[in-house]
Amino acid sequence: MKRFLFVCLVIATLGIVPAFGQKTDITLWTFQELHLTFYQKMAEKWNAAHPKEMINLKGEVFPYDDMHNKLLISLQSGVGAPDISDIEISKFANYLQGDIQLAPLNDLIDPEKDKFVQSRLDLYKKDGKYYGLDFHVGAEVMYYNMDIMKAAGVDIDKIKTWGDYIKAGQQVVAKTGKPMTTIEVTEHWSYYPLLNMAGSDVVDSNGRVTLDDPINVKVLQLLKDMIYKYKIAIPTPGGFHHNEQYYGFMNDGGAASIWMPMWYMGRFTDYMTDLSGKIAVRPMPKFDGSDVVYNIKSPYTSAGMGGTGTAVIKTSKNLALAKKFLYFCKGSKEGTIATWTDLGFDPLRWDVWSDPAMKAPNKFTKFFVNKENIFDVLLQVKDGFNTTNVGGKYPAVIDAIKHTVMYKVLVEQSKTPEQALKEAAAELRK
Amino acid sequence: MRTRGFVAIFATILKYLCLIVLAVSFIFPILALVTASFRPGRDLLRYGITFKSIIPDSLDPKNFVALVKSRDGIYLTWFKNSLFLTILQTVLSLFFSSFVGYGLAKYHFRGRNTIFVIVLFVMMVPLQILMLPLYKLTAALGIMNTYLGVLLPFIVSPFAIFFFRQYAIGIPNDFIDAGRVDGLGEFRIFFKLITPLMAPAYGAMAILLAQQSWNNFLWPLIVMRTGNMFTLPIGLNSLLTPYGNNYDMLIAGSCAASIPIIIVFFFFQRYFISGLSAGGIKE
Amino acid sequence: MKASSYYHSQKLVPYVFVLPFLISIAVFYVYPIIGTIIMSFQQVVPGQTHFIGLANYKRVISSDFLTALKNSSIYTLLTILILVPGPIILAVLLSKGPSHMNNALRAAFFIPSLVSVVVAGTLFRLMFAANGKAVVNAMLAWFGLKPVDWILGGARQAMFLMVLVAVWRWTGVNIIYFLAGLQAIPEDLYDAAAIDGAGPLNKFFHITLPLLRPTIIFVTTISIFGGFAMFEESYVLWQGVSPNNFGLTIVWLIYQKGFQLGDMGTASAIGLVLMVIVFTLSLSVLNLFGFFKREE
Repeated sequence: MKRFLFVCLVIATLGIVPAFGQKTDITLWTFQELHLTFYQKMAEKWNAAHPKEMINLKGEVFPYDDMHNKLLISLQSGVGAPDISDIEISKFANYLQGDIQLAPLNDLIDPEKDKFVQSRLDLYKKDGKYYGLDFHVGAEVMYYNMDIMKAAGVDIDKIKTWGDYIKAGQQVVAKTGKPMTTIEVTEHWSYYPLLNMAGSDVVDSNGRVTLDDPINVKVLQLLKDMIYKYKIAIPTPGGFHHNEQYYGFMNDGGAASIWMPMWYMGRFTDYMTDLSGKIAVRPMPKFDGSDVVYNIKSPYTSAGMGGTGTAVIKTSKNLALAKKFLYFCKGSKEGTIATWTDLGFDPLRWDVWSDPAMKAPNKFTKFFVNKENIFDVLLQVKDGFNTTNVGGKYPAVIDAIKHTVMYKVLVEQSKTPEQALKEAAAELRK
Repeated sequence: MRTRGFVAIFATILKYLCLIVLAVSFIFPILALVTASFRPGRDLLRYGITFKSIIPDSLDPKNFVALVKSRDGIYLTWFKNSLFLTILQTVLSLFFSSFVGYGLAKYHFRGRNTIFVIVLFVMMVPLQILMLPLYKLTAALGIMNTYLGVLLPFIVSPFAIFFFRQYAIGIPNDFIDAGRVDGLGEFRIFFKLITPLMAPAYGAMAILLAQQSWNNFLWPLIVMRTGNMFTLPIGLNSLLTPYGNNYDMLIAGSCAASIPIIIVFFFFQRYFISGLSAGGIKE
Repeated sequence: MKASSYYHSQKLVPYVFVLPFLISIAVFYVYPIIGTIIMSFQQVVPGQTHFIGLANYKRVISSDFLTALKNSSIYTLLTILILVPGPIILAVLLSKGPSHMNNALRAAFFIPSLVSVVVAGTLFRLMFAANGKAVVNAMLAWFGLKPVDWILGGARQAMFLMVLVAVWRWTGVNIIYFLAGLQAIPEDLYDAAAIDGAGPLNKFFHITLPLLRPTIIFVTTISIFGGFAMFEESYVLWQGVSPNNFGLTIVWLIYQKGFQLGDMGTASAIGLVLMVIVFTLSLSVLNLFGFFKREE
């Protein structure tokens, strides 16, 4: 038996060595199986294109929270980190503390920097160094349910400002009895993009808390007005736009519209299948300085929301190769196009948005009313992205918005927007 | 059984009526889960859990087939890992914990209370705060990504020690004294006389240790680094992501995952049920 | 004195019995616990650590900590009040009688504990959905009541859900403890009492309860620990964000600080404060039971 095993081992080794002889092992962690499939496809393409630098990609999918915990523990203890890891945007700041264990990617990004949506590169920047590359822009857009819009007689292409949106909303409520939209009360996807588009942020570029900025107060007041003054919105059933209850509600034609990032398209195609052929994607309404938006005037037409910054760990034994492979996956023209065709994301490089490959039919072009012209929406808003800061206190600030601020202001109404934001900011500054 | 006529029969019927109503309400979510596992995961999202949802209109084993086939059958590997770790951990914990628990119950020695306080202390440290140093230790011992790394730190279960101690206290000292009179050594007394008496405790702990080990998530996740070493809870949890959950496989996977412990339950419960137990204490 | 008789001497034997535990503590707990105590005085960030005195401890008392402590305490108290007496009664009722029926009933109570927390949380979220169709609100409608928003409604609804999930998952487990405990009660005691003409209630209060005391102590103590350690249940019920911190527990707070916000130092400090609280509490409860006196 032992001899048999030994013979097997020898045969196996002989078989493997020539095939994998030149390949370098690269370990990669992610929390999303789809991401891993994408990386594996890109690894094949990489090996075909770089026969002298072939890699053997060893990817692992861990549960979401736990992958981040595991990575944090590895970096804090200095043992056991992978070569490359996905890091979700709301957790990224944790890895930019102390003696940063991620490798800067400037040598690869700088030559093509102007091809990217700048604010999406700056997300993962600290002291002039880029530590991560995102999958997508996550451009904030409005999704309209055309069945409801038609029943209410609303022309969505005439909705340009928040004033227009609210007026249309009142028409929808009057004609159909359905709310125009839903507002998240236990997550930040309704509030955060809006305050960002209004020209503000929750932390500054140094990671200091700016949650109680006067613009933030006004924007939160606007959300509250939509629910209680104009009566066009309701708090999201189940609390946020990613829960089962909400999917069911929307499937039944629950609300007429919703603003979420481009990547939310995947939630429609996967969980709200009854809405196929009914949803139109349009740019966001603008802050035009009118009374409705408390005189906020801003040039921004969209906001880059959410994301996953993939980083190379400094301790990697194959640092240069890992960096090059990462850039090939997420920075190259070929790679960024694949983020749309394979993953359904809005690519980080705007220079591929008008590429013919982006018009090829897929499940999204089939689902949405826009058909193959989805990216025309993005080309319209291309120059209107405000920067977003995700360093320093960002994770704690987002936590405070999710856990207390939204609920107290929008559901309990126990605090005014100003009180809630001031209190939260004071606690966070401690 | 003595009958006390009509009243007694009526009381029995009433008792079982109450118990059945209660049991049905406990099992209702499980029925919903089982029927959901035979339908597309979307249905559960679409309709929620309603009274209709526990009556299946069709039974389609598609999810289970997908479960076994996806990613080259990695689910089966997870299943195997979980099975292996659970058996080993349960057997070893049963042995060590009953040994220690009995020692704490039946001997009076200096430091007994101190040791017992340490048992309690260890039970209540939240693992979350021990994780980082324990990770460093495990890495230093070179047992990362191994079964040993998962097993070793928790092989002596303080909660099982506590339970066995409490159980052993109820055993009359006469048994032990009788053993001594017969010239048996202290360890033989434990293995020959006491272990059969503790059969109900072993039965209960076998079920609960197995259940605990089977559902164990936090520590195996930290120790295991490659997909082929994952246990079921880790693998199943990786189906949940902020970008959307794979309910089809999660629900089917969870149903299939419950089966081994249900078997363990039915096998071991005989040890703590009246009339069947060999260890009932009669004086 | 022969080696073997020394080996069997009553002085040494007890230490041999507790040796496996002592070894496992020495190897696997001493270092991590000391490590955690040190961390609680440090700022722990990737690649470096440095001592910052008592700063972490000063940060412990925050409004979040007080909310979490309150939630955890109420939760623990309620679960003990339900999960000790309830399973005792059920165990007594299920310990005798037609065996097939009892087998099925015991299994019905136990099976919920086999479902992973993630799935349990999802199931309860779906059953308690706010719309009128979901099971619980549909039942309320039968009685002419309005649907309740269980998930977002408020602190009371939140606590109700958390306790309900605990009762659902742990009743069967506690029944097993008590069933095993009941086995240790000699049958003759009941026979003797029956001869004296004692009714079922009398037997329950004068034989069953007193002799079940060791098991009751055990279940109460682990319920205190389990109550204060609760985190995943509420984390899953609200998918990571409980509105207004209705579902925030202390271990959730530790998790949030240590992992989600990457501040292991403060997390360790909170954890150690929690341990002091729970330790004091459980020792006083044990003392109340007369635990550290000689039990025979």
